[in-house]
Amino acid sequence: MNAFGSMLYDSSVMRAYTPARYAVDVLPESARAVCCRVDGLPAEINSFADSILTAAERDYWQSMRGVDKRRHEWLLGRAAAKDAVRLLLEQYADLWLSPDQIEILPDAYGCPRVSGTGIRAGLQPVVSIAHSHGVAVGLAVLDPGALAGVDLEGTFRHRENYESIAFHPDERRILADIAPDLAEEWALRMWCAKEAVGKALGRGLSHGLLALRITHMDIAGGLLGVELRDAALDQFPELRGKLLTVYTVRESDFVFSAIIYQQGAVRMRPSRQEILDYLLQKMGELTQDWDYTEPVRPESLLFSELGFESLDAVVLCTAIQEHYQTPMPFAELLAEIGQQQRDLSIDELTTFVDTHLNGPAGSDHATRRLQ
Amino acid sequence: MPEMTESEVFDKFAQIVAKSLRIDASQVTPDTHLTDLGAESLDLIEITMETESQFHIFLPDKSILETAVEVFGPDVLEKDGYLTEAGKRLLLQRMPEADAHGFEGEVAVKDLQQYFLKVSTWVRMVQGLAKYTPSDCEACGGPMVASMGFRMKCSQCGQEITLRSGEELNREWVREYYDKEYRPQAGAPVSATAIP
Repeated sequence: MNAFGSMLYDSSVMRAYTPARYAVDVLPESARAVCCRVDGLPAEINSFADSILTAAERDYWQSMRGVDKRRHEWLLGRAAAKDAVRLLLEQYADLWLSPDQIEILPDAYGCPRVSGTGIRAGLQPVVSIAHSHGVAVGLAVLDPGALAGVDLEGTFRHRENYESIAFHPDERRILADIAPDLAEEWALRMWCAKEAVGKALGRGLSHGLLALRITHMDIAGGLLGVELRDAALDQFPELRGKLLTVYTVRESDFVFSAIIYQQGAVRMRPSRQEILDYLLQKMGELTQDWDYTEPVRPESLLFSELGFESLDAVVLCTAIQEHYQTPMPFAELLAEIGQQQRDLSIDELTTFVDTHLNGPAGSDHATRRLQ
Repeated sequence: MPEMTESEVFDKFAQIVAKSLRIDASQVTPDTHLTDLGAESLDLIEITMETESQFHIFLPDKSILETAVEVFGPDVLEKDGYLTEAGKRLLLQRMPEADAHGFEGEVAVKDLQQYFLKVSTWVRMVQGLAKYTPSDCEACGGPMVASMGFRMKCSQCGQEITLRSGEELNREWVREYYDKEYRPQAGAPVSATAIP
């Protein structure tokens, strides 16, 4: 094991974090992703570089102009991204690579692209890299068609008034509704979310800051919903009317954001029946290994009948949000149920999802109620 | 009002950058790059805001290439991340000769950051935009002060004017460039295929 390898397993130097802490893991098909963070480089920078970089990467690194800081951050970013790719392939492809078998170089737009002797065709992860103040984060996603973006910002620096230029009036209205003690952090999360989406789309924020619009926020879940506007839509017409879900998390002095968007995934406006069918099928999958042998029905109760525990509920809620690419206030729903000490039926859950996807009016649920 | 010289603009801009990045102003030279001085995305926002308020200007929120791509359409000025000959010609019109040397041969879009984030590029952009900000009232000659939004107001007679935004001026420049270079007859239809 080389120096990098031994460092990897020293959790004080490097640790993995999942912005989608509700779990990229439970969505094997839709989001096979790993996100890694690296804090700082070892003192022996050149030998560290030798141990993790491929020959082409080393050439690129050595030819980089500019100050040392820029070269150090580049190296830090490579370390984080290579680790994310390594862990991703270990986890999902049973492929054990060393960092120098993974090559990550920028394309002509500056987006990182993965190749290398260890990377097989069809198993080429999509990566995104960000760094700030000596910390780097790398996101790797196994689905080659996915759009992936990651960003981080330090919370230690108090900034004033950048919101007036960074955010659209509609976004500032969303911010205004947040409790004052959370507002500064969430402004930063919103900014981070935009940066991550910009990276996922491959051109940074070149369409202007306001072309990416935060339209949804779920504070308890750490989720932000972003929609494209104006010039960004000219370039990505297929994203018109779609909500991109960005995961955000705060860890110590940084906020992180990550987006994994499966191209072709549509923000669905399903009927109530389709939602119910999906939930019954999902529940069937989740409970198939459990003791519960009865078929899952709309009136089945999650906790008392199906044997759900709170973690199972979180897993299910995450799966639903991922499936529909829409954040929903599940945390509030679960808290309410906890407070009232009652159970939740699949039928009721369907109503909840239907209301948040289609609105209380206009859905066939509303019609049904009138009948 | 006497126009600000490049060195006056530079001095003031260097102060803004130094304050925002918490570094000494002597570190800011025309040839340095904002990212080399430690600027990250939010610092650039902060520098932009401070520059706008001190110079009474509105900086464009996109680079000239991005605005030009919107006017010209896709794949004309850059294709697959590389500048086309037409793209290079357009940028050379905006670039001093000294900077142009860096853009010979194959030029990737990512390499343009070197130019767009250079201090001297910002200084020239600020100087160019400041020309559109009058210091004296056209009507009475009184001093103009910043008013709400994109506006300035005469402190003497109250006359208000709307400032031009950098984005709008960039777009205008690109359109004029397009007409001059690619539309020999006035009124001929705009067609990207006419561009060599």
